[in-house]
Amino acid sequence: MTAPRPYALLAEITYRCPLHCPYCSNATQTRNDQELTTNEWVRVIREAAALGVLQIGFSGGEPLVRRDLPDLVRAAREANLYTNLITSGIPIEDGRVSALRDAGLDSVQLSFQSDKTDLADEIAGARAHQHKLEAAAKIRAAGIPLSLNFVIHRRNIDRLPELIELAESLQAERVELANVQFYGWAFLNRAALLPTREQVIRAREIAMAAQARLAGKIDIFYVLPDYYETRPKPCLAGWGQRYLTVNPIGDVLPCPTASSAIPDLRFENVRTRSLDWIWRESESFNRFRGTEWMPEPCQTCPQREIDFGGCRCQAALLTGNAANTDPVCELSPNRARVDAALRELNSLGDNALDWTYRVNPKVVTVNEPAVAARR
Amino acid sequence: MEIPTIADSAQPTLARGVRLQTDASTGNTVLLFPEGILELNESAQEILTRCDGRTVTEVIQALADEYDVDPTMLAADVRETLANLQRRKLIELT
Repeated sequence: MTAPRPYALLAEITYRCPLHCPYCSNATQTRNDQELTTNEWVRVIREAAALGVLQIGFSGGEPLVRRDLPDLVRAAREANLYTNLITSGIPIEDGRVSALRDAGLDSVQLSFQSDKTDLADEIAGARAHQHKLEAAAKIRAAGIPLSLNFVIHRRNIDRLPELIELAESLQAERVELANVQFYGWAFLNRAALLPTREQVIRAREIAMAAQARLAGKIDIFYVLPDYYETRPKPCLAGWGQRYLTVNPIGDVLPCPTASSAIPDLRFENVRTRSLDWIWRESESFNRFRGTEWMPEPCQTCPQREIDFGGCRCQAALLTGNAANTDPVCELSPNRARVDAALRELNSLGDNALDWTYRVNPKVVTVNEPAVAARR
Repeated sequence: MEIPTIADSAQPTLARGVRLQTDASTGNTVLLFPEGILELNESAQEILTRCDGRTVTEVIQALADEYDVDPTMLAADVRETLANLQRRKLIELT
């Protein structure tokens, strides 16, 4: 089928990260090939712009650990892309923020784990919170628009009013309150992270009230906890329709979590193929493009071009088949699997379970001697 | 949702971090902002390209002159567009 033009590229430039958040959506296992070099990324950025991409998000891992980040931002601006940095704010030494601003960085999305230092550091598995506050001040002082990103889960959802207050006090322009979605490490830690139904109902009220109160001042974006929904999220606005991700080793993914969630999908690499070919022709981008792949009840559903059958990764993780209807959908024959997870969690009461912290994969970096380690 | 009132003397400008740009793939004008792209329809584009320090009254007058219509015909539409953009924090009114 004919490929549409993409709008946004997520550039996961490294898997390395100084934080160990248990809700990370990165894969728990990654191939330890060499990270793309600066020149390779610059080529990817130019190819993406030529394909029609208008926005780039630099993410990871923690993109700040790549020393060449300002060079990549500059290349993206030269290609007329809108540049977002999605970061933990660590490490952000003096001079780093101004170097990024001078390179043309349009916006920073800074993650916080909580408003309270002890809880935030416990979630991050690192002494991070105070450094993040300093990072926010530096970003503000440099005049770069600031968004605060909070991943919401069982352990911090009750502090929603305080999280919104933190965003106000740091003068953020935008706040993302994103209920944790279960991929990668988060899927592994699902039982410890999934909020209770009671928590979710209260959180939604608080978020809606804050949206109304701060309208025109802070843009509050609330991401629903989809297990508690009855219809699936319109994941990616459809597979291979608007978004593409390039991961640290150059694999091109229709969705950042697809490499870990859908093991039978083979991904092409920018080292061997052009981005244009991968976007238009590759099996991975075409597998779930459009509506022809859809099973029932999606195939004849009036919602099929509204929610696109939901999330392929979620279908794969919960039913073992990425081509199934997202089991969050109440019409899915597999909805019982989501309900079982919710029932189990809600029966735990206040006893939160332990989680497993994210650990860094053994990635071969561009500064280290490359070990040929293709799987 | 309630539309906030906008003073005649307010000067709408793009909010910090928002870029107005031509989309090379389509030739259309788009607003780019954190995690978002808004493809502007013709009237929003006509309004926004005039938000360069002019007041709301002046923007309405400029559009009325351009299309040779009475400003009162356009005022409600312009205000509604500006209010929508302000609510999404894409413009600032100073």
